[in-house]
Formats: sequence, structure tokens, C-alpha cells
Amino acid sequence: MKLLTHNLLSSHVRGVGPRSFPLRLQATEVRINRVEFNPDFTARMIPKVEWAALLEAADTLHLVEVPKGPIEGYEHDEKFLTQMHHVLLEVDVLEGTLQCPESGRLFPISRGIPNMLLSDEATET
Amino acid sequence: MDHEAAQLEKQHVHDVYESTAPYFGDLQSKAWPRVRQFLQEQKPGSLIADIGCGTGKYLKVNSQVYALGCDYCGPLVEIARSRGCEVMVCDNLHLPFRDHGLDAIISIGVIHHFSTKQRRIRAIKEMARVLVPGGQLMIYVWAMEQKNRHFEKQDVLVPWNRALCSRLLSDPSQPGRKPCAHPERSHPYHPPCSVCSCSVCFKEQGHSQRSHSMDYEPLMAGTCCTDISKEGEEENGFYNTLGKSFRSWFFSRSLDESTLRKQIERVRPLKNTEGWANSTISIQPSRHSSLDLGHQEPLSTREQSLDEDVFVEASQKQLEWPRAPAARKHLRGDQQGEVRRNGDGNFLEGANTNSNSEETIPVEEQQSSVLDSRAFMRYYHVFREGELYGLLKEHVAELHVLSSGNDHGNWCVIAEKKDNCD
Repeated sequence: MKLLTHNLLSSHVRGVGPRSFPLRLQATEVRINRVEFNPDFTARMIPKVEWAALLEAADTLHLVEVPKGPIEGYEHDEKFLTQMHHVLLEVDVLEGTLQCPESGRLFPISRGIPNMLLSDEATET
Repeated sequence: MDHEAAQLEKQHVHDVYESTAPYFGDLQSKAWPRVRQFLQEQKPGSLIADIGCGTGKYLKVNSQVYALGCDYCGPLVEIARSRGCEVMVCDNLHLPFRDHGLDAIISIGVIHHFSTKQRRIRAIKEMARVLVPGGQLMIYVWAMEQKNRHFEKQDVLVPWNRALCSRLLSDPSQPGRKPCAHPERSHPYHPPCSVCSCSVCFKEQGHSQRSHSMDYEPLMAGTCCTDISKEGEEENGFYNTLGKSFRSWFFSRSLDESTLRKQIERVRPLKNTEGWANSTISIQPSRHSSLDLGHQEPLSTREQSLDEDVFVEASQKQLEWPRAPAARKHLRGDQQGEVRRNGDGNFLEGANTNSNSEETIPVEEQQSSVLDSRAFMRYYHVFREGELYGLLKEHVAELHVLSSGNDHGNWCVIAEKKDNCD
């Protein structure tokens, strides 16, 4: 699971709301993948990123060199974009958990795949 | 009602995909051109989700977007992951995404697996919720109106026959049978092949060289929605206790409460063959009976459950040919009717549909493996023309339909999330 994915995930546990976000990330196994750098693509992601959630996740994973927010002229700042590319796309959580901050419910990440299924009672109607 | 619907889906959607997933692993499936086009038209840098992604065949169509695959079926998601896709396991009815997070969503061959209208609406609304204003949603559902097969009813169970798939795959040149043009069709969400009704192949009837431009004009109001079921308008009705067994489902017109109530008076006893013929969920007979093995393919479910009894008892009355004592229960459903309707000969492409009706099922054939896929029956609610459009128009106010049409036997819609919603 990439951090860009994590940035989109929220909890749908019953009683929680509005849509508890972000999910608290814990990782026991992380892999760094080489992903081809596409500056244009990365630049387009920037406005969509929920920064607080990203920073929280990056912090949990002890990542370094993570920009704290979009900087002026980021679209053409290669260093910024490269760092964002790395954080968003190259860090892959293979094993870990995602936790709903309100209900405490845990969702497992196994072999890089988050499992967000809930039993019936736990879901909102 | 919702619980029963979920149970039906568990048995005849989720469990089937889970069990049959391994067979899809080594097959590459082709992306539908119109879906590919939709994906390729998305702006670079878009965040896209394929809800019901299966093995992920659409996730790499456009390298300029961030594509997330979601599916209820773990094994299929694992396959997608092994192909390098970013995926997760989740439920269409409870998408784990924050509101307004995604630029586009595709739902290809998914909504038709929900067994009540309410659930279908909920699934669509969930996808609408996670779209940004202006974001687009493409939905494909299997059409009731098909060129090469006939659906008696809208709620159907369709068999999946792995044995035939593997035969076709391994020996496509066997005489008397046209191989399915399916080098890459393993996506379980494709309608079963018209030749063998297995989900692996979809035979495009001689159209492989033609470009598949979709009939894609906006539907005119009034031409399509007139008799889209007014039933089910009284949602939130009380689930009338007919007996919450699976048995009762197959006598309801759909799993919508109001139609169920209306149907109660007309329910016929199970043992009555006409009762079977009038039942609403029809078993799509295996239409490849004569294709390869020279015998009728039985359509039994594998579990000894209540619903199997439903089919079994009715079918015994309808058998037209003798069978070995140890034979599996054979379900004829309305096959005879279907064969008649396909008398134009296109059906089964040169294979003879009636010739083997006298043959018995060889007893040896009964000793197939436990995982005999003849047992797998997938539930579909096939859509009538205009039904999907009507569903969105009447029940999903947050979406505005941009266009709709038919593509390869599917009804399709592209809709846009309106601004200033929720």
C-alpha cells in the first residue's frame, strides 16, 4: 500500500463520522520500490494531497526528507517533486495495520493489500 | 431483507469468485474498448478507482493516472497485486474513501451482482459520494436483452464451467466447436461466453475485426424509463415474513420487498413444475451441453442446502432424458425454451444443441473433483434497457447522466457528480 493510497482512505465504521480520517498507520514491513519519476504526474498530485495525513503517515514510517507542504513554484521544483514522488509512490507498506481513529477498529495490510472489509454490525446503515 | 440479500450475494457472488479466482490467474483479459477510452480520456494526474476491479485489467490502461483497484474478492485482488497494481479488498457498499477524493470511477460488471434494487442504488450512491464534484462514473451492467442468449427473468443464476474453459483453452481446434476468441478474457465480470457460458470467454460474434463503437447517445427522457419498475418505490417496507429461507427468494420477482409482497399470493408450491417455470430467478442452463464432452452438463449446486432442494425437486419433473442413477441432479430450467428461441443457428456456432438430449450422463463423469465448477452459479440481476439510466435519474440525485448506451451486451452509463452536493 502506497502512501498516496493511504491518503485517500477513511473509516466507514458505524457511528463514526463524518468519515473518520485519516487512518492511523502502523507498519511492520515496508519496501521501497523504484517507480519511474514523472514530474508532471507528481505535480498534479500535489493539490490533491491531504498534507496532515501524509505527514503523520510519513512520520510513523520514519521517512526523512518529506516536504512539509507545497512550496511556491513546486511545479518546477525538481527536488520537491522528487521527494514527493518518493513519499507518495515509492514507499510500500507490505504488512501493517490501519486504525480508525474514532472506533479503534483495525484493518490489516497483508502482502501490500489493505483489507477494509467490515462485519455487518460494524458498518453504517 | 438486506441480510438475505447479502446472504444470496455471499453464496452466489463472493464465494463463487473466491473459489474460481485461481483459474483466472494465468489468463490475461482484454479491456473493453469503450472502458479503455474512458480511462484514457481522464486528465493526467487523475485519481481513479476501479470498484470491482477483479484481476485488475483496467488498472494499467492509463499510465498517467493513479489507479486504485478495489474488489470484495481477496484472491482476485491478490492476482491484481501480483501484476503490480495498487489494490485493496473492500465492499462497494462501504467504500473506505473519504468524500470527494476521486476524480473518476469505473464500475464494470459489478452492480448487476447486487440482488436488490436498494443495494444497487446504495452501491451507486457510495461511488458518487467519493467522487469530486465534476468527477465521472462509468457503469457497465449486463443487459437482459442479448443477441445470443435469452434471459427468462432478470434475476438469474448463471453457471460457470471451468471444465469447458480448460478444454477450450487447451484444445481450441476441436472439431464441431468454434473456439472462443478469448485470448485474454479472464475477467470474471464479463458476461459468460455465449458459446460456453463460462466466464472466461466472451465470444464476440464475428465482430473481432470491427471497431466497437458504442452506441453512445444520451437517452431521451421518456423513451426509456416508462416502465422501469415502479415496484420497489415503497422501499423501507417491512420484510414480510414469507419464510426467510432461500427457497422463498426464488419465487419473488426480485428481492425488493414490495414485489415480494405482491408475489406472495401467486407463489406456487415447490413441487409443481409450473411453479418452477414461473419462478423468478431462473437458472441459466449450461448451453454448451453438446459442445465437447458429448453429454449434458449438470447444473447442480454443490452444497446440500435448502436452495439446492428447490432446484432439484422441480428439475426431476422436467427431465427429458434418462439419467444414470448416480447422476447429479440435473437442472433443465427453461433450456428447451431457450433452444427454441435460438433456432436461428447462431447460438452455439455450429454445435448441435439438441442432438444429445437423449444421452445419459455417464456415471464416470460423476466422479469429478470436489471443485467441479459445474457447481458454481453466479447471481446476476440483468438490466433492462433504460433501467440503469432510470435508477440513476430517480434515485441518485447527486449524479447527472451524461450519456448511456449499449456495449457488447451491456447497458452502460457515464454520469458526473454534480457540484454543491452533500
